[in-house]
Amino acid sequence: MARLTLERVSFWYPAMGRPALRDVSLAAAPGEVIALVGNVGAGASTLLLVAADLAPRVVGGKIEGRVNFRGRGKGEGGRGIVLPTPWTQLSGMAFTVWDEVAFGPANLGWPRERIAGAVDRSLAALDIGALAARDPATLSGGELQRVVIAGIIAMEPALLLLDEPTAELDPEGAGLVWRLVRALAGDGCSIVVATSDLDALPEVADRVVWMEDGVVRRIGAPALLAEESVCEAGLATTVADVWRTARLGAPYPLTVAQAERRWRQ
Amino acid sequence: MTGGRLHPFTLLAIAGTLPALAWILPAPAGGAVTTAVALVLTLTPGASPGLAGTGSSPGWRPGLVVLRTAVLTAAPFWLFLLLLHDVPSTIAIGLRLTTMIASVVWVGALLPPGRLVEAMVAAGWGVTAAYLFAAALSAVPLLKARAQRIVDAQRCRGLSPRGGLGRRLRALRALALPLVLSVLHEVDERALALETRGFVPGARRTPLAPPRDATAERVGRWLLLVGCAAALAWRLAWRG
Amino acid sequence: MSVRLLVLIPAAAAISLALSAAVDAVALPLFLDTTGTVLATALAGPGAGIATGVLTSAVNTLRNPTFWPFVVVQVIVALYAWLAARGGLFRSLKTAVPAGLGLGVLAAATSTPISYVVFGCTTTGGIALTTALGRALGLPPLGACFFGSFVADFGDKAVTFALVTSVLHALPRRTAARFPWALRAVGAA
Repeated sequence: MARLTLERVSFWYPAMGRPALRDVSLAAAPGEVIALVGNVGAGASTLLLVAADLAPRVVGGKIEGRVNFRGRGKGEGGRGIVLPTPWTQLSGMAFTVWDEVAFGPANLGWPRERIAGAVDRSLAALDIGALAARDPATLSGGELQRVVIAGIIAMEPALLLLDEPTAELDPEGAGLVWRLVRALAGDGCSIVVATSDLDALPEVADRVVWMEDGVVRRIGAPALLAEESVCEAGLATTVADVWRTARLGAPYPLTVAQAERRWRQ
Repeated sequence: MTGGRLHPFTLLAIAGTLPALAWILPAPAGGAVTTAVALVLTLTPGASPGLAGTGSSPGWRPGLVVLRTAVLTAAPFWLFLLLLHDVPSTIAIGLRLTTMIASVVWVGALLPPGRLVEAMVAAGWGVTAAYLFAAALSAVPLLKARAQRIVDAQRCRGLSPRGGLGRRLRALRALALPLVLSVLHEVDERALALETRGFVPGARRTPLAPPRDATAERVGRWLLLVGCAAALAWRLAWRG
Repeated sequence: MSVRLLVLIPAAAAISLALSAAVDAVALPLFLDTTGTVLATALAGPGAGIATGVLTSAVNTLRNPTFWPFVVVQVIVALYAWLAARGGLFRSLKTAVPAGLGLGVLAAATSTPISYVVFGCTTTGGIALTTALGRALGLPPLGACFFGSFVADFGDKAVTFALVTSVLHALPRRTAARFPWALRAVGAA
């Protein structure tokens, strides 16, 4: 049973004539990681907002089509979205990182012990235990991004939506987040992530959705990131792009390992 | 028991009662007593950075520093009062102002904002009031820093405090407009972030670290209120 | 109260308090501490404006322990701004500046009794000195006090209204459409 279903969804932002999403259909199963790739303005962020039930409910605008979400078990586990600009996602009500991460669970009305457990686990998962007593206003961009992600996963969502979660992180931090994404998927969470970190996707994503101008152009396995048309759009993995530029012949390898194998042949 | 252990509402009650009494009780004796009490209170040790500590100098300020702040803040008022009024009026008004200043400075130094937020949440108030207060408090230093960055950037482009009124007003506009527009632009994103974290205005949330509210303190707060009312009644009767 | 409104109010209050840095940089004797209140009213109505004004006073009190009695002035400002917004007076500087001057008179009239009774007219150094000047000119005590407050408030409120007008006109249409009162305030609705 799909956890999230979008059926022929079109969405217009308020006072805009052109739709930001046109006729988009997508289904996410429990434990699946779906990556949205596309250039700026492709509609990936909008799709995430629609999936998070924030558009049009909070954002305003008009929607056509159906959006269906099935939470986990007895209504436990909703959906959480991590937006791209970390500093606007601080609650403003927490004066320590620990309280900031606990903000979401506290709003859900969980008992204190459950909150404490969830917060400690999230802090450990993002490797920010050392920051627990810090004032969120004093954190760097990368630290903030980890705190924001921790704050969402502490709510134990059944559907996790991530918009450029590694934008402010160094490679080590990015690796941590991608490993966390796979771990959460292993626990049954459905994850839809919009990212420009294409090189990470072969290891992380189960399916890749290529979006352009609010329309879904292709859905397929991560291998599609090495296809000719995708390369031309500038959305291929670095290895595929380099191989293509060097005119070493199609089909292009997706990862370094594949490239090594091809080279040796 | 340090002052920082008292329930936030108790601290606020005391900080509200002292100036009220300074006004109700006959000057100058009443004002002198409340001022003395308020200044002595500023010497009580705190636990962590208080409300006024947010964004300004980090870390807890020991008692003498708080006393000094209160005195320095009150001093200019005495000066100007002397300029405008005769000595008895100066003393009467000055003492009242000093009580008010010392009380607020005391509470500001002693009460960490997180603790006040927790007290509001634990008292069963919806998140609305707590959020409004906390968000404003935490936003001020961030906005001030952003304003400073805009000022610095404009200075590099030739902004200077010299020039005629018209030029300065235009410069003010060039500084203020980006700041305000950036804030308004963020309103939508912040609202989205709060929504996704389950924030519902007026809803109750789990208190994470509710401050202890001893019965003695609760009784004490009521007594303070009754005391003020009694003092007021007495003063009105005495006058009439 | 919607979440967006709840986000707007403390943000507007923080604007009022943070503009002091900009004012210092141009060395003008302004406060601009009602900017957020006027802005919130023009964007979302009198309720938002009053809440912003009260919040501004509450937070400001931590920095200036003597300012909380003037919360009354903030409320008056919000109500006046409400009337101005309803009348579309933010549609141009030609209408906004006179409206601001009018508010300056009203604000001074409201703050004078507070200044007189609570502070003996010594609210700030500037006001105290101007009051002394007024007394030297032969004005009665209350009149001198009004003179002191008036000089401070007159220009301040006019500049505040002008600034809010600029902001409203600079808002992208999409953003302005999300604030229920904004379009009416600039006379576009």
